[in-house]
Amino acid sequence: MSMDREQKEGAEVLLMGNESIARGALEAGVRVAAGYPGTPSSEIIETLSRFSEAGKLYVEWSTNEKVAMEVAAAASFAGLRSLCVMKQNGVNVASDFLLHLTGSGTRGGMILVSCDDPGALSSVNEGESRHFARLMEIPLLEPADFWEAKEMTRWAFDLSEAIRNVVMVRSVTRMSHASGNVVLGPLPAVTAKAQFLCDGPVSDPDRGPVTSAPVIQKHRLQQEKLRKAAALFEDSPFNTYEGPETPELLIITSSACTLYSREAISLLRAEGRAGILKLGTTWPLPPALLKRHLRRTEKVLIVEEVLPFLEDQVKILAAEQAREIGIKTFYGKNDGTLPMVGELNPDLVAAAVGQILGIDPPAIPAEYREKLRALTAALPKREQTFCPGCPHRASFWGIREALQRDHRGGFVCGDIGCYAMASLFPAAGFHTAKTLHAMGSGTGIASGFGKLGPFGMEQPVLAVCGDSTFYHAAIPALINAVHQNADITFIALDNSGTAMTGFQSHPGLDVNAMGEASPKVDIAALCGAMGVPVTIGDPFDLIGTRVTLNRLLEEPGVKVLILKQSCALSPEKKVKKRFLVRVDEALCRGEACGCNRLCTRIFRCPGLLWNRERKKAEIDEVICAGCGFCAGICPAGAIRSEEAAK
Amino acid sequence: MTEHLTKDPYNIVITGVGGQGNVMASRVLSNMLVRKGFRVTIGETFGMSQRGGSVMSHIRVSPTAVWSPQIPKGMANLIVALEPIEAIRVLADYGNPSVKVLVNLRAIYPVGVITGEDEYPSEGKIRETVAALAAEARFLAATEEAIRLGNPILGNIVMIGAVSGLGVLPIDRELFETVIREWMPAARVEANLHAFAIGQAAVALKSPLPQREV
Amino acid sequence: MRDWESDPAEQESGKGGQKELDEQVLGAGLCTGCGACVGLCPYQTVYHDRTVVLHACDLAQGRCYAACPRTPTDLAALRSRLYNETVCTPELGAVKGFFITRATDEGVRRRAQHGGTVTALMALALREGLIDTAILAGEGEGILPRSITVRDPEAAGMQGSSRFVVSPTVAEFNRVCLGNAAKIGVVATPCQALALAKMRTQPVSAAENGIEKLHLVVGLFCGWALSWQKLAALLKKKTDLARVTGMDIPPSCYHTLEVYTTGETIRISLDEVDPCVRESCRTCGDMTAEFSDLSVGSARLPEGWETARSWNQVIVRTERGMDLLELARRLGVLEFRATPPGNLEKLKAASLGKKRTAAIWLAGRGNTAERTGQAG
Ligand SMILES: Cc1cc2nc3c(=O)[nH]c(=O)nc-3n(C[C@H](O)[C@H](O)[C@H](O)COP(=O)(O)OP(=O)(O)OC[C@H]3O[C@@H](n4cnc5c(N)ncnc54)[C@H](O)[C@@H]3O)c2cc1C
Ligand code: SF4
Ligand code: SF4
Ligand code: SF4
Ligand code: SF4
Repeated sequence: MSMDREQKEGAEVLLMGNESIARGALEAGVRVAAGYPGTPSSEIIETLSRFSEAGKLYVEWSTNEKVAMEVAAAASFAGLRSLCVMKQNGVNVASDFLLHLTGSGTRGGMILVSCDDPGALSSVNEGESRHFARLMEIPLLEPADFWEAKEMTRWAFDLSEAIRNVVMVRSVTRMSHASGNVVLGPLPAVTAKAQFLCDGPVSDPDRGPVTSAPVIQKHRLQQEKLRKAAALFEDSPFNTYEGPETPELLIITSSACTLYSREAISLLRAEGRAGILKLGTTWPLPPALLKRHLRRTEKVLIVEEVLPFLEDQVKILAAEQAREIGIKTFYGKNDGTLPMVGELNPDLVAAAVGQILGIDPPAIPAEYREKLRALTAALPKREQTFCPGCPHRASFWGIREALQRDHRGGFVCGDIGCYAMASLFPAAGFHTAKTLHAMGSGTGIASGFGKLGPFGMEQPVLAVCGDSTFYHAAIPALINAVHQNADITFIALDNSGTAMTGFQSHPGLDVNAMGEASPKVDIAALCGAMGVPVTIGDPFDLIGTRVTLNRLLEEPGVKVLILKQSCALSPEKKVKKRFLVRVDEALCRGEACGCNRLCTRIFRCPGLLWNRERKKAEIDEVICAGCGFCAGICPAGAIRSEEAAK
Repeated sequence: MTEHLTKDPYNIVITGVGGQGNVMASRVLSNMLVRKGFRVTIGETFGMSQRGGSVMSHIRVSPTAVWSPQIPKGMANLIVALEPIEAIRVLADYGNPSVKVLVNLRAIYPVGVITGEDEYPSEGKIRETVAALAAEARFLAATEEAIRLGNPILGNIVMIGAVSGLGVLPIDRELFETVIREWMPAARVEANLHAFAIGQAAVALKSPLPQREV
Repeated sequence: MRDWESDPAEQESGKGGQKELDEQVLGAGLCTGCGACVGLCPYQTVYHDRTVVLHACDLAQGRCYAACPRTPTDLAALRSRLYNETVCTPELGAVKGFFITRATDEGVRRRAQHGGTVTALMALALREGLIDTAILAGEGEGILPRSITVRDPEAAGMQGSSRFVVSPTVAEFNRVCLGNAAKIGVVATPCQALALAKMRTQPVSAAENGIEKLHLVVGLFCGWALSWQKLAALLKKKTDLARVTGMDIPPSCYHTLEVYTTGETIRISLDEVDPCVRESCRTCGDMTAEFSDLSVGSARLPEGWETARSWNQVIVRTERGMDLLELARRLGVLEFRATPPGNLEKLKAASLGKKRTAAIWLAGRGNTAERTGQAG
């Protein structure tokens, strides 16, 4: 149900923001695309991978964002157009390389696409990547609708080649994961041969070695490039004004907030009183353009997500130009007109504009509102949890059993992946996971905890990490723990795929993003090479997992346990149940002392149902994935599992 | 060439639970509308949808403009709920006295209900609530029909058929067929057409589908 | 001074579930490790010598709390339901008879802690069909005991000697109850005997608990038991744990713990051992396993410890206990010798001493003691 090769130039089709960005890159003749999966960015590389073809377009899921950026940079150095894609916090990972790359400059057009997640809809942060553009001194573009996402991406390559540096395109969840009409453009036939010219002097941007040194010289050059970009931005079609010639209120906005602002004005019927300056080129701001529009009025509202990035830049320009444009009153994040945390929406913007202009937003009739409140109050929540048959549920069950037996207050340092659920919703991880930060940080934090024994810390320390996260950032942390001889138990939850974001390939698999066979890197062998004991277990083997863990918890130093079992959503598992499972009602102890609903109250696999009327547990055959694990936890042997016929 | 809409933009919410084919339903419906020459925006919340959360798509349809991927509060014109309590959840935020609501009666229990902590409202209570809050409320046993067709996932297409039957949008079976043929392997088209027709007829006839046995 | 038995007011609040068990016993450090709360349900288990909660149970009332020897118990009521009140003494509970005995079989004696009376009686009970299953404490890993279930009298006769780390005997009883054993005999420390007695008298809920299968409780005298972790740490400083073959505590005037190893006997001053004593034992006022059919301890004889250590003193408390002992006399399984004058009085004094110390410990624990009520 997404863009495919069949769709023809000139067709108006519905594309997701991410697909539109991918299409823009294709229309620009991108040859190499690399990224690391992360919501809301993953569909860009996924879409491109469907267009990949040897010698025409190379696409990869890299081990992490820094590597992705390096891979894309190499293509640029060899004269090809390239793209790297990541979610907001991925830019943090890549930033060390980015700092040097922006100093050295690029050759073939190179774009960094970052998809931010205001409101943290599927992140554990709402970090802003826009600030990196300023920090790294590279131009920043922000599309405000779906079609523009394509056009802007395409143009970003031209810009990159014009200034010989990386250009950052920033999207947000509500652009990336929303869809709208897009008119497809032609796909060019690209033939440029990859060649890295490097025989010239350092000062030659076309034939010299590529490096950020001599630093001062290169830095000066970089700033010139930025000024050139600002000049090009002065008459960019991505910056537009809509509204009266001299509005009462000027709204300056970008990205999805443009759509919210338009909607707010429409809701308030304030078309005659407020105008919108929509900026597509948000760093560096074109000063003359801003001056022209700031002149229109005295009241200025800046609408953006999440931090006052644009607001601060506009204020600086306004201060510099105050003599010519007069003193302004600014509304935005700093004065509290709009919230500085979370995502915006049309209602929040309408409330802000209404407050400034003295207009009440439209309201539904009070009588209806009352009825609504009374009738919709007590709805059962939809809590998120591990899927039916999820191996992580079994892993955390085993961890819980071992930690309770061990009885020294041990805990798990969590990490990013589906299993982060254990940290986010305590009941899902049976109250074992106690920290959650960046990719791979669980292991680093554990490594630190593991050195606190001499300070009196007696609690055993565990770190969990998914297979994809392991390659991404846990390896250096684990090596650190080994080298420092930290006392930790490292558990790799190996479910054979980047399940969280939809089964992208990673170095542990034998297939790459383009569907080609590729060598896999074995976690157990890697850990073994670090010289620490490695045990491989199956999380569905409850007793084995628990006994192993209890033994490991008592041993000093770094111990590795790999719990291997493929994800319940993995294609091969979705096809067929391994066990047919049912509850023998006669044996089920239900709420009585002797069980008290262990399966539905504590274990909570959605495949198990508590039947309130009969006061017995049941299996929901439609939902149960047939993993058979719950049969092993029932104290009464009431959950019966039978191997399903082959 | 665009046809007339009762509102500009016309706001549709398709809601359900992860795994019900919500995203597919909103794409099919929107693609039909794009073919009719409308500007359509879909806003989707599906971050953790595979793990049992509520999934909601906002569809904005306009002859001329691109609208925000988030519908303002209280401004839904049509709510299509693939799961009954999700209809009520969406009404709470986007309901208004003139909203129309289509509800698939097949419940998917939240974890709290499965584990016995929360109680799921009775079908009667759900019907009563939706009817009290909507200008027009229609209830369908879409999943049951879909199971009869051989695949519960087709419930989403039954519901799209129902949208067509409602007559508020210029979409018909032919248009559906054109769109579905583009994406589906030919073998699956027939069942989809069937599902669409069932939903369409059920609403057009103003006679609800056979009730789910409780 | 407070009596170590709980007062009736506290028994009013004597109902609870896991939450109360955790607050009053496990969390308060008063768990004996008896295992009475283990195996009834999926929520408690034994790991090493520790009873741990695996998951939270929110029932307001449960068998775990009801059976636990450290939750408030009306001991007087329990005694009057299970024993003939006319033979009850305040110091030692029911005393139908008091004897000095030892196993006739020298092989049994050699493997036994003292006179081998316990081992001989259990083997006899199995052989004569008084019980079909015996639950004993055998050798586990290192100095950790392991609960074992024996059906063969010969095998029972091979067991013997005391483990000073607690064994989860009642958990094993709970497990065995679910099987096809019909008549179970248990060798129990005082706290374990109390748990079994409580299970006998408590109304049970839906799930069956098979307490009617309990046919014999042979109690052990007990001064205290040791924490596995602490004892292991202490012994590691003195010897290789793998070499330890047994232990004993001679009469108090010696003030030592004797540790037998494959090489020598190590004597450790009780001052060093004291920190290893389980907290729950300090608050325990039962030295003679008052809730058994008969109780066995080491003898006190005028000839001194070297002779006394191969004899036992036995308190018979019930009809069933008396029948077993008489059977043993008739069949020559046990040898008897005259009870030295004053022995029973000395035992009473020692028992009273333990009740007093327990009461002081309880009082010292302040509020916890008030809530916990008594010390089993
Ligand atoms: C922790 C502990 C403390 C004791 N303290 C005293 C004391 O202060 N004064 C005193 O006179 N006697 C005490 N005894 C009892 C004494 O050690 C002998 O067990 C008793 O004299 C019987 O001797 P026997 O030769 O007949 O035993 P044996 O024939 O050797 O039989 C011993 C029996 O005790 C069982 N057993 C061993 N360890 C345990 C345990 N940890 N929990 C439950 N059952 C066990 C074995 O299964 C075996 O059946 C104590 C026993 C224990 C286990
Ligand atoms: S077998 Fe049990 S644990 Fe596995 S999916 Fe089914 S209900 Fe869940
Ligand atoms: S764990 Fe077993 S006995 Fe307990 S409620 Fe579930 S099926 Fe019944
Ligand atoms: S089920 Fe019963 S015995 Fe088990 S913890 Fe709960 S109340 Fe205690
Ligand atoms: S004393 Fe026995 S019953 Fe009480 S908590 Fe400890 S093991 Fe459980």
